[in-house]
Amino acid sequence: MATAAGNEPLFVERFPDEAAVAKANLLVAFVALGIGAFFGLVQALHRTDILRIIDSADYYTLLTGHGVLLAIVFTIFGLAAFFHWATARSLDQPAVSTLFSWAWFGLMTTGSLLASVAILGGLVPNLGISADVLFTFYAPLQAHPIFYIGLAMFIVGTWLSGADWFLSYRAWREDNPDERIPLQAFMVLTTMIMWYIATVGVAVSVVFFLIPWSLGLIESVNPLLTRTLFWFFGHPIVYFWLMPAYMMWYTVLPKLAGGRLFSDPLARVVFLLFLLLSTPVGIHHQYLDPGIAEGFKFIAMTNTMFLLLPSLLTAFTAVASIEHGARQRGGEGYLRWLGALPWRDPAFAGMAFAGLIFAAGGFSGMINAGMNINYLIHNSLWVPGHFHMTVGTAVALTFMAAAYWLVPQLTGTKLYSRPIGLLQVVLWFVGMVFMSNAMHRAGLAGIPRRTAEPQYQNFDFVTPIGSIFELRVQIAFGGLLLFLSVVLFLFNMLLTAFGEKSERPVDEFLPAPLSGPEGSPRVLDNLGLWTGIAVVLVILAYTLPIAGIIQNGGGLFGGGLPVPVTVFPDVELVKTVLAGALAALAGVLL
Amino acid sequence: MAVDSTTEGSTASPTSDDSELVGDGGVNVVDQSGSEPPTDSIVGTADDSIVREIGHDEFDPVGTLILVLIYMAILLGMWVFMYFVEFLGRGVTVVG
Repeated sequence: MATAAGNEPLFVERFPDEAAVAKANLLVAFVALGIGAFFGLVQALHRTDILRIIDSADYYTLLTGHGVLLAIVFTIFGLAAFFHWATARSLDQPAVSTLFSWAWFGLMTTGSLLASVAILGGLVPNLGISADVLFTFYAPLQAHPIFYIGLAMFIVGTWLSGADWFLSYRAWREDNPDERIPLQAFMVLTTMIMWYIATVGVAVSVVFFLIPWSLGLIESVNPLLTRTLFWFFGHPIVYFWLMPAYMMWYTVLPKLAGGRLFSDPLARVVFLLFLLLSTPVGIHHQYLDPGIAEGFKFIAMTNTMFLLLPSLLTAFTAVASIEHGARQRGGEGYLRWLGALPWRDPAFAGMAFAGLIFAAGGFSGMINAGMNINYLIHNSLWVPGHFHMTVGTAVALTFMAAAYWLVPQLTGTKLYSRPIGLLQVVLWFVGMVFMSNAMHRAGLAGIPRRTAEPQYQNFDFVTPIGSIFELRVQIAFGGLLLFLSVVLFLFNMLLTAFGEKSERPVDEFLPAPLSGPEGSPRVLDNLGLWTGIAVVLVILAYTLPIAGIIQNGGGLFGGGLPVPVTVFPDVELVKTVLAGALAALAGVLL
Repeated sequence: MAVDSTTEGSTASPTSDDSELVGDGGVNVVDQSGSEPPTDSIVGTADDSIVREIGHDEFDPVGTLILVLIYMAILLGMWVFMYFVEFLGRGVTVVG
């Protein structure tokens, strides 16, 4: 048993191949972060009319690049790096086949490159390649086929990465038939099961509709169907971004605070709840879509509100674990203990700031999720304000902060500069407070999102407090700080990667939780059962709405615009769906 | 060996057993006289500054309760504010 920090060989020494794969994933993630952040700066300056260096038509090219590079490439390559590290570390064994690991990495990278070429092609006139379809790639916006083909390759790459981690788990299980799944591996596996279920939607949308349509093989698509299939995947992807951040909050942040995880079983319950509830909620992104009956939207809203539960459980567990660290470091009082935390450590401070911003993002998320309140802010700048707090900070800042702790384990070199790291996370926090707060307020004033020039003749937006000009300045200033923060981060990472080897570049010891898994029900580890229930919930939530969309939207391939309808669930149809769902569950259990 | 919840057990501690003294109330007080000085340039060394070990039964997360209550108070305050501004302050926005 390891008892003290520094006694064990580093991760890179124990698992050099896994460290190399994780490093390669981080490299792609960080390159995407740099390019995407630059696009973000250009957009922030452009839409606020502070500085316009591009044509407004190109704004949408950069917006697509910003969304895809940051919300898909940066986040998911980051996830792959963290999960590859966590699987090897927690199962204490290398991947089954290093070649296979490189294969999925290669497929994901090639897919990302193809999609990026399609997007950036939009900046080159006469090239004939473009993909100005924004992150959501809704029809009837159409991209060049290589955009969709790149996306499909990327998604298949993520499936194979999950297979890699499941193969590791299977090998571990053969040697450890009665052990509880180690917590980090449990988190990786449940997240990937959620991903497999969620990506069915986007795979069907891309392979059966968007690729044939972009190649001219079919004339039209049913836009509402492809939108719905996108959001079938588009909400759980939010949790695909968040789960690796949660994994770091549960398993690493307590250590960085000087404490131990408060409860291992609670962490398992949270991940299972995300597995069950992430997918049957996507329709809450479509509250304003005609063609989906209000009743189905109401069901999606109810499911969404249940999702607050694991998030609030996480808030409690993470804060309690941090408090444990502060108390062990001598913290006293009701709130004075906060001062005993290691705020000078950029890894801790970054994750703590990320959690704080996420708490604020929870407020605006509750507004988004409410069917009636959503009408006030739908498609306004409020929404980007919200997700820059969640994926843009809770995830992105946690990834960067975690990199300060993880990268030295992968390279064997000490972090180039802790003070620069600290400055970087503080800059991100301050920049996001300016930008996101102003975006929320601008959204309340009615300023639209996804608009290059939200300034109109003979019309002025009005905000009850402050002025629209002040909001614009805040957005531009915040965007500038965020970009500077990314530059500092990448600079620090680059010099770390090329730094001198150190015997103790980082303290990678992770203490055991205060409350371990021993006393918790073993059913928590029954992945087949939870997968079955998750599938049943998806069938229940989506069968009727999709049937209605196909029936009333002109069939599978459209041919007419969807019209507003109200679908009353047919009793026989409900019976059939329930019977099918129960049969599926029975199949999994038996 | 990698350390995890299933391999480590609840006795894991970031400091060696022989460096601990038992303080009042069953809380272990760590004697730091023999430990290496805090290394400010290394990430993740908060453990070096631990002055006492607090086990599961001794830990009372009252500070967490205070923070959760503050969060809920903000939520409630914003809800009340929204109710007055967006509902009582406007006409009916969704009809039919």
